[in-house]
Amino acid sequence: MNVQRPPAEVRFADELARLRETDDAPRPPGWALSLRAARAFIVGDDALGVSRKFVGDPSLIDRALVSLATSRGLLLVGEPGTAKSLLSELLAAAVSGDSTLTVQGGAATTEDQIKYSWNYAMLISEGPTARSLVPAPLLRGMAGGMTVRFEEITRCPLEVQDCLLSPLSDRVLAIPELPGDAGMVFARDGFNIIATANTRDRGVNDMSAALKRRFNFETVFPIADFDTELSLVESESGALLRRSGVTAPPRRDVLEVLVTAFRELRAGRTARGDEMDRLSAVMSTAEAVAVAHAVGLRGWFLHGAPGTAADLVSCLAGTAAKDSPDDLAKLRRYLEQHTAWRTGEPWRELRDARRELPGG
Amino acid sequence: MSLTVIGVRHHSPACARLVAATIRALRPAYVLIEGPSDMNGRIGEMLLGHELPVAVFTNYADGERRHGSWAPFCAYSPEWVALQTGHETGAELRFIDLPAWHEAFADRSNRYADAELRYAEAVDRLCTMFGVDNTDALWDHLVEMGPQEEIAERLTAYFDLIRGESAAGESDTAREAYMAGWLRAARAHAGDRPVVAVVGGFHRPALLRLAEGGPADWPPVPDLPAGAVVGSYLVPYSFRRLDAFAGYQSGMPSPEYYQQLWDHGPESAARHLVTVVAGRLRGRGHPVSTADLIAARTTAEALALLRGHPVPARVDVLDGLASALVAEALDVPLPWSVRGALTAGQHPAVVEMTAALSGARLGRLHPDTPLPPLVHAVTAELERHGLDRSGEITVDLLDPRDRERSRVLHRLRVMAIPGYARSTGPESGLDPALVETWTLRDEGSRLVALIEAGGYGATLPAAVEARLAERVAESPGDLAALAAVLFDVALSGVGELTGDVLEQLGHGVAAGTDLAELGRVLSVVLALWRHDELFGTAGTAALGVVVEAATRRILWLSDGLHGPGRPADPKRIRAVVAVRDAVLHGRRAGVLPAAAVEVAGRVAVDRAAPPDLRGAFYGLARVVAAAVLTDLPGVPGLPTPAEAVRGAFAGGTAGDWLAGLFGVARETVLAVDGMLPLLDDLISGFAADDFLVALPALRQAFEFFPPRERETIADRLLDRRGMTGSGRALLRVPATPEVVAAGMALDELVERRLSAAGLGTGER
Repeated sequence: MNVQRPPAEVRFADELARLRETDDAPRPPGWALSLRAARAFIVGDDALGVSRKFVGDPSLIDRALVSLATSRGLLLVGEPGTAKSLLSELLAAAVSGDSTLTVQGGAATTEDQIKYSWNYAMLISEGPTARSLVPAPLLRGMAGGMTVRFEEITRCPLEVQDCLLSPLSDRVLAIPELPGDAGMVFARDGFNIIATANTRDRGVNDMSAALKRRFNFETVFPIADFDTELSLVESESGALLRRSGVTAPPRRDVLEVLVTAFRELRAGRTARGDEMDRLSAVMSTAEAVAVAHAVGLRGWFLHGAPGTAADLVSCLAGTAAKDSPDDLAKLRRYLEQHTAWRTGEPWRELRDARRELPGG
Repeated sequence: MSLTVIGVRHHSPACARLVAATIRALRPAYVLIEGPSDMNGRIGEMLLGHELPVAVFTNYADGERRHGSWAPFCAYSPEWVALQTGHETGAELRFIDLPAWHEAFADRSNRYADAELRYAEAVDRLCTMFGVDNTDALWDHLVEMGPQEEIAERLTAYFDLIRGESAAGESDTAREAYMAGWLRAARAHAGDRPVVAVVGGFHRPALLRLAEGGPADWPPVPDLPAGAVVGSYLVPYSFRRLDAFAGYQSGMPSPEYYQQLWDHGPESAARHLVTVVAGRLRGRGHPVSTADLIAARTTAEALALLRGHPVPARVDVLDGLASALVAEALDVPLPWSVRGALTAGQHPAVVEMTAALSGARLGRLHPDTPLPPLVHAVTAELERHGLDRSGEITVDLLDPRDRERSRVLHRLRVMAIPGYARSTGPESGLDPALVETWTLRDEGSRLVALIEAGGYGATLPAAVEARLAERVAESPGDLAALAAVLFDVALSGVGELTGDVLEQLGHGVAAGTDLAELGRVLSVVLALWRHDELFGTAGTAALGVVVEAATRRILWLSDGLHGPGRPADPKRIRAVVAVRDAVLHGRRAGVLPAAAVEVAGRVAVDRAAPPDLRGAFYGLARVVAAAVLTDLPGVPGLPTPAEAVRGAFAGGTAGDWLAGLFGVARETVLAVDGMLPLLDDLISGFAADDFLVALPALRQAFEFFPPRERETIADRLLDRRGMTGSGRALLRVPATPEVVAAGMALDELVERRLSAAGLGTGER
C-alpha cells in the first residue's frame, strides 16, 4: 500500500518500539511512554538511534509534555509554517501511540464533527442507542484515554470552540440522547487535547477567556539560530530536489543568501539593525524550503546547473510575495537597498538580478 | 607541595561552596585567585567588610587607547569566597592574572565573563546532547542542581570537554602563561604545604599542564607602557549592572536568584522566585490566581522531575510560571531560552519574572575604603574652576575659561550628581543662546552619588563617556534620546564616542521611523558635523555615523511612503533637503551618492508617492546627478525636466509637486535653460478655478525662493512676454491676495452677465 504520508506512529514505528523497550521511567496514567521517553522521541536520542524530529528549544517540548500530563490542555500558537502541526502529531504519537484522532478546525466545523453524530438510518430504526452513535475524535479520545488533536482551533466559531469546556474541565461528555449511564462518557486516563492556532488567524475568531484558562499556551517560534535553519533548509530542499529528479545539490552560498533574506524579512530587521516593514506573506522555514526547491528546479531545468541568486529573485516573487503588490514593493525595496552593502558574490548577483522582479 | 586548581565558573554558588570547602579542608599556604595582580598590594581593602556587590574598576589611558573594565564580585563569587576563606584560614592571598589594562583585556569590559562562550561550538554541542536550550540551563542542570559531592568531578569533566577541542585565543594564551608562573612560584615557596588556585574552569586544563615545568620565581606585574595612566579601585556595584553584560561579555545571569540559592538553598530560592513574581504582578494589577500559582508549582515540579533535578531549578520555575501565567501568544521568545539581554515586546509577566531574577541589590563600600579617584578628581576640578560654592552662576560660552566651567557642570549633570541644575542655556546645537545660568546647591547626597559614579571612570570625562555610551545602548530608535546624548557629548566636551558605541548609535538612528524627525536631526547634525567649532564637534566620528545612518534611513522610509493625494508637508521636504546636503557634503561620513540617486530616481516616478516627495526626489536626483555623478551617464529612467513638469501638472497636484522640487532644487528653475518658460506656459493655461485651487500650494512652492530670486523670476517673465517694467514692482502688488481674488471673481461674474445678456465678447 503506497500511502503518501503515513502518520508519525507508523513512520517512526521502530523508534517508538525501541523507546518502549528501554523505557523504565514511570509513565503518567494512560500514557504509552514515560515523559522522558516521549521527550527523547521528539528531541532525539543518539544512543537509541532516535532521530531529532523537531528543531526548536528542548524546553518547549518539556513544557508541552508536562502540560499534557496535567489537567490543562495544550495550545500551540505561532506563525504559520513553524511546524506546530508536526509537533502536535509527534506529541500525540509519543503520548498515545496514535496521532489520528484529529479535528481540522475551519469556518464550517460543527459540534458533530468534534463530539459525535448519528447514523440516521439506524437512529430511525433503533432509536438512539450505542450502535447508532457515530463517535467523533473527541468522544473516541475520551472513551479510549487518548490524545485528541484540534488543528487551527481559532478558525472555528467561538460557540463551537466552547464545546471543549466541559471535556477539558470536568473531563466528561454528556450524550443526552442515550438513556442511563451511557449518557455520560467520563474521560479515561490519558485523554487530553492538543490544539494549534495560528497567530495570523487570531483576528478570525477569538477564544473565550473560559477556554483560554483551560489551556496552557506554548508559542512556537521560527528557528532562532541561523546555522540550524540553514542546514534544515539545505537538507529538506536537497531531499525535495532529489525527488524531483535534480541531481545537482543546491548551492550553499545561494541558500545562505536565501535564508538571510527570509530571516530579515521575517523579523523586519537587517543584520546591521535597519528596521523594515515585515512582509504580510509568511516567511517561514517551510516557505524557504519551497523557494529553495523552486530555485533548484529552475536552475536545473532552465540552464542545467544549480540555481543561482538570479533564479532566487524570480522565485521569491512567486513563492514569497504571492499576489500582494505591497509585498512585492517591499521585496523590491529590500533588494534595492539592502544588498549593496553586503559582500559576497551571491549578494552581488542578487542585486544585479533585482530587476527580474515582475514590474521591475 | 600539592597544587589544587579549582576550575570555576565566575559567579557560581556551587563553585563558591566548593572553593570554601576545599580551602577549609586543605588549609593551604597560598590561595591564588584569578584577578588583577596589580591589586595584590591592596587586598586588605577587599577584606574590609563591604556590602556586596562591589567591583574592582580599572581605568587605563594612553595616547591611543582608553579602556575601562570591571571585575565584579558578589557574595557567591568563588573568587570572593576564596579571598574571605583564605583570609580566615591564614593563607597568603594572591591575585595571579594579568592586570585589567593589559592588552589581553583590550576588548573586554567584564573580567569575569564566561570564557567558554568565546568558544561556542563545543558548548552548543553539549547543549544538544543534554537537550537544554542554552549554556545557562546546561550549567544549572549539571552543576548547580547536581549532587554537591560530585561537583569537583563534574566541573573537571565539563571544562575538559569544552577546552579539549578548542585552541585558546591569543589573549587567553597570554593570560594562562602568566597565571602558570604564579602557580609554579607558589608551589616552590609553599614548601610541603598545599596551594589552592581558583581560576576560570576554561583555563584549568592548560594551567595544570603549564604548571609542571619552568621558572619558579614570582612573576612581576607587567610594566605599564610609557605614558599610560592606570587606576584601579573598588567601587560599589549593582545586580542590575551585573546582569546587563551582553554577548561574550556576559557571565551568569539572574544574580538575585543565585543570591537566594547561595543564602538559602535551591528550594527556598525557587519559592522566593515564585513569591516575588506573584507579588510584583499583583502589585501591577495583573491577575494571578491561586489556581495559577498551584499550576505553576505543579508544572515546575513536573519539569524538574522530567529533567532530572532533585528540586526545581531556575528554568523549571520560570517555565512553570510562564506556562501558568502566560495565556496568549508571545511576540518574542522567552528571554531565558535565548540568553542575552531582555528584548522589547516581552509579555508583562515575563518582564516581571526577569526583573525578579535580576534583583535590585546595590553594593556599598565600607567607610574605610579609599574613595574612588573620581571623588578626588571632582573635588579638585570644582576648586580649580571656582565652582565649589552655592548660588547662581553665569557662564559665557564664547569665553574659553567659562566654557571649561560649563563643561565641568554639564559633566556633573550627566552623571546625575545632585546640586547642579542649569536654568537657561542653548537647547540645541543650532541655538544661538551663548550664555548659561546654573544654580549650584550643596546637597548632602553628593558624596554618595559621586562614589557610585566612581564605577564609571576615574575622571569626570571618562565617567561621562562611559555613562553616555550606556545611554546610547539604552535607546535604540529613540531619536530624541539619541539626539540628547549627542548634545550632552558636545556640551560636556568629552571628545569622541568610539567603537561599539558608534555602531549602536548607527543602529539606533537606523531604527527611527519618523521621517520629519529624522530630517530635523540630520540637518542639525550635518551642520554641527560640518561647521561647529564652539563645541568642537566638526568632523567627529559620532556625528558622521549619525549623518550616514540618518541619510540611509530617510531614503529607506521615503522609498516606501505612499499617499498620492497627500498635501505638501514642509517637514518632509526639509528631510529631503537634509539628504541633499548630506549627499553633497557628507561623503567623508560614508554617505553613498549612487544609492541616493537610485532611490531618488525611483521615488520621482512612483505614482503612489506623495507629490511633494516626488518633486523633492526629482530635484534631488537632478542636483546630485549634476554635482556628484558627473562621470555617470545620468539616472536611468529619470524623465527630462519638461516631461517631469508636464507629468506633475496632470493630476491637479502641481503646486505640491513644485513645492517639493523648489525646496530641494530651486536652481533648476533659475538656470538659463531651466524650466521657467514651461512653467509659465502651464500656469497660464490653467482655467480660473483650477488656478485658485492650485494657488495656495503654488504660493507655498514659490516661498522657497528668497526675494532676490523671486525678482529674477519676475524679470524673466516680463522679458518673456515682451513687457517692460520692474520685476520688483511686480512682486510688490499693493493689494492683498484676497482683493485680487475678489477682483478676478468680479471680472468673471461681469463676463458671465454680459454674455447672458447677449453682450459677451463672443457676440459683439
